[in-house]
Amino acid sequence: MKKFPLVAVPVLLFTVLIVFLFQGLFSDPRELDSQATGKPLPDFSLPDLMQPDTSYGPDDLTGKVRILNVWGVWCVTCAVELPYLTKLSREQDVTFVGLYFDQDLDPDFGTKTLSRVQQEVTDMLSRYGNPYAFNIFDVYRDMSLDLGVTGAPEHFVIDAEGIIRMHHIGDINERVWNNKIGPLYNRLRQQNRSLEAAE
Amino acid sequence: MKHVLLMLLALLLSSHVTASEDNYAFDDPNTRAQFLRLTEELRCPMCQNQNIADSNAMIAHDMRRKVYALLKEGKSEQQVIDYMKARYGDFVHYQPPVTAATLWLWAIPFAFIVVAMSVVLIRRRTTVDDDNIEEKLAKADAMLKQEKE
Amino acid sequence: MVPEIGNISLTLALVVSILLAVYPLWGAYRQHDTLMATARPLAIGLFFFTLISFVCLVYAFVTDDFSLAYVAQHSNSRLPLHYKVTAVWGGHEGSFLLWVLMLSIWTVAVALFSRGIPHAMVSRVLSVLGMVSVGFYLFMLLTSNPFDSMLPFFPVDGRDLNPLLQDFGMIIHPPMLYMGYVGFSVAFAFAISALLSGQLDSTWARWSRPWVIAAWSFLSVGIALGSWWAYYELGWGGWWFWDPVENASFMPWLAGTALMHSLAVTEKRKAFKSWTVLLAIAAFSLSLLGTFLVRSGVIVSVHSFASDPTRGLFILGILVILSGFGLLLYALRASQLKSPGRYQAFSREVLLMGNNVLLCAATLVVLLGTLLPLVHKELGLGSISVGAPFFNQMFTWLVVPFVLFLGLGPLTRWKQQHVAALRNQLLLAFGLSISAAFLVSMSYSQPSYMAALGLTMAFWILITSIQEVLQRIGAMQDNDSMLRRLRKLTPSHWGMVLGHLGFAVTLIGISLVSNYEVERDVRMAPGETVSLGGYEFTFRDVVKHQGPNYDADIGIFDVFRNGEKVVHLEPEKRMYTVQRMPMTEAGIHSTLTRDLFIAMGEPLENGAWAVRIYIKPFVIWIWCGAAIMALGGACSISDRRYRMAKLARLKQTFSHPQTTTQTGEQS
Repeated sequence: MKKFPLVAVPVLLFTVLIVFLFQGLFSDPRELDSQATGKPLPDFSLPDLMQPDTSYGPDDLTGKVRILNVWGVWCVTCAVELPYLTKLSREQDVTFVGLYFDQDLDPDFGTKTLSRVQQEVTDMLSRYGNPYAFNIFDVYRDMSLDLGVTGAPEHFVIDAEGIIRMHHIGDINERVWNNKIGPLYNRLRQQNRSLEAAE
Repeated sequence: MKHVLLMLLALLLSSHVTASEDNYAFDDPNTRAQFLRLTEELRCPMCQNQNIADSNAMIAHDMRRKVYALLKEGKSEQQVIDYMKARYGDFVHYQPPVTAATLWLWAIPFAFIVVAMSVVLIRRRTTVDDDNIEEKLAKADAMLKQEKE
Repeated sequence: MVPEIGNISLTLALVVSILLAVYPLWGAYRQHDTLMATARPLAIGLFFFTLISFVCLVYAFVTDDFSLAYVAQHSNSRLPLHYKVTAVWGGHEGSFLLWVLMLSIWTVAVALFSRGIPHAMVSRVLSVLGMVSVGFYLFMLLTSNPFDSMLPFFPVDGRDLNPLLQDFGMIIHPPMLYMGYVGFSVAFAFAISALLSGQLDSTWARWSRPWVIAAWSFLSVGIALGSWWAYYELGWGGWWFWDPVENASFMPWLAGTALMHSLAVTEKRKAFKSWTVLLAIAAFSLSLLGTFLVRSGVIVSVHSFASDPTRGLFILGILVILSGFGLLLYALRASQLKSPGRYQAFSREVLLMGNNVLLCAATLVVLLGTLLPLVHKELGLGSISVGAPFFNQMFTWLVVPFVLFLGLGPLTRWKQQHVAALRNQLLLAFGLSISAAFLVSMSYSQPSYMAALGLTMAFWILITSIQEVLQRIGAMQDNDSMLRRLRKLTPSHWGMVLGHLGFAVTLIGISLVSNYEVERDVRMAPGETVSLGGYEFTFRDVVKHQGPNYDADIGIFDVFRNGEKVVHLEPEKRMYTVQRMPMTEAGIHSTLTRDLFIAMGEPLENGAWAVRIYIKPFVIWIWCGAAIMALGGACSISDRRYRMAKLARLKQTFSHPQTTTQTGEQS
């Protein structure tokens, strides 16, 4: 009878395994945790998409609560969310900054010219709406890499100190805005306003 | 910020017309080996389950380029891995970190080998002491034979 | 009309499987012969209805019946005929129909080829197989019926078969793999029947051994084909990725290998009975777990089927009921299993069990590596990846003692082996294998320690296998010639030798290709030449080609060595028009000593292309080794001792004295 506990071990381990497999059924294995949240923006110095003479750094994204929107003309979902983002910027005064990167513009084997990229962007924005205060052109996609971007669209909520408060992968629609991003954005904006008023 | 513009224009306007060349050229075979190893061990964050050497996704492309650039700067393998982990988390490296939660990966197989081997060896000792065992077995064998016939 | 017949047949198969699960078992319990006699006809009926159902689905594919949702999603009128047939198992529902067809084939095979086994035992075994079937037929009919109709609105043409699967390797890979997966259900059924009946002697081990070897051989071929397919079809030139789906098939293989050897000990020495029963349950449970992992979407993989939590839940339910029941029964009954341990620390028993332990540890490594990321995430600790570096490291550690034991095992005696008797032989084998590995390594300009280690292990297996055969024929006490003595060795003995040699061959392939592979990732324009590993690869041209359901760019390459042309290769970049999916068809030239591998990347400006070129030394040895192992399996099954005829039973009594003399010598 000494052996009994030993032969019961497999069935116990099996039970534990089943519990985890069951839980696993109801979660998305591809969902990743962001490393950028809670950290200040990485250092960067990148040109404006439309006026390459102008250049931006982390300081240009402080003093105000903003949403940094990673996008590109080649991205289908981006085109879908543009009208809603435009509506948000018009009606609720939400500040969007575009972080633009091009897919075909491969630094190794570049085939596209800057003017063509600009033309495509202008076309797309005039068709679907332009929510952006300005667009940062992530030429080498370095900044995207620093932010842990895996594709487009992605959104970063950045507070007035330039700290990333949320990393949202995927598009913003009414549901996402009302349940996830909107409350945080409005709270941060409220805090910033009362802080400014105090000063 | 003029140099940014110049860099950009140089990039966009030049078209490479060079002879067949390695996409990632190294002077030193060791660095080249490091590059191959790293691109095999780093995971493409948006793919199903591919390393960045095998994936054609844009992000894998960019990460390869970054690994190349970092190695060219003289960074060590570990520094490159840490660089990627800082941006994409532990997920990005196919070798899991050793933590209290992942220790089991090594501990369970090792413990199993130790326990199972000792059971095999201890069982031998306890039963060898039994004098009757041969007799019993012979009886059992006979029964077995009878049953079959 | 035909789809309706298929659907009805499938339903009838479910009904038959329910009857099969109930009647023979009840008959065995009540000792009622008529009830037990229903087992065989029911098993045949199960196979018959499943076959009809399968044929109906094939017919629907061949006749482009797009009113069936499954056909519409996985075929296209422009698909070549042979791919229309294989598209039957190109998706979840159809591949599951193939799965249950295989299950019914195994069931009917057990029914037909077990005439020598006691009636009650066969009835129990078939009933357990019936229970397994009930779960899967229910699963098919409720959640994954391939005969689901799209009427009244069906498409004019289908969405085409996934281009990755339009390939020769994919025609035979799934049937082989499923034969292996499902085959372990037979061992499971034998083990459960033994536990149920309380007849826990080692007879069940003898009866189920050929079935396990057969399933294992199929699984070996299936896995090797999958690896070979990934090698030439995915365009990365890799042959094993430690992807969860590969791991899902590798775990039952490892457990099956352990089971096969453990059965040998249990059959011949009546030892480790409890352990063998557990392995039989585990091997099939791991097959079920693999099915769950591949089809539920809990894990990120390149190859998984479209995921659906309902299906996942259902398979999990089957897993809980079958394996949970099996393990519970084991927990309750296994303590009755008394295994006499009449062996010393250095004996064949211990070596075989040592390797059993190592194989199970390897299974654990794969299981943990596959599932820990899931658990880690569920515990809220974030995402981690466990991949090649971890598995390679762990397997390197495990394989060294494994190979050592593998070489020693067949040379040593049961019960007890005196070290002195083998010392010289072993030292010779060890010295020879190290020197041979050293010599081969020296032929490379930059010898690698890991490759040398791999070669040493392979030569160790080779040399000890030869020693073992010599030892056997040396022990024969007659004056026959060498050749006649060799012919006297039993097929099952040759099976073991082949199995071990096959493993050595695979080991050579793995060590050499992993350590001496060279590659270049280049941009090439037509007319340019790249040199690698002593070969010159000249890129002549790119031509456009239109296939039946794809457009291709074909790269024209000539490969030279020392100015002489070696081969003309035409790697392709295809775009499958219906699914808008690009595919890489690598250009490969294989010889025994190396593969030349060219894969087209993406087109660049000015007509140049990104091209990847590899030279992979001894890579086909990996799959040849697997084929040899499977051949060994076939050899073992052909052994007359396993024929379940009455004659075999007579033989069995004859072979008994042999074992007693052996023990007599030793004690």
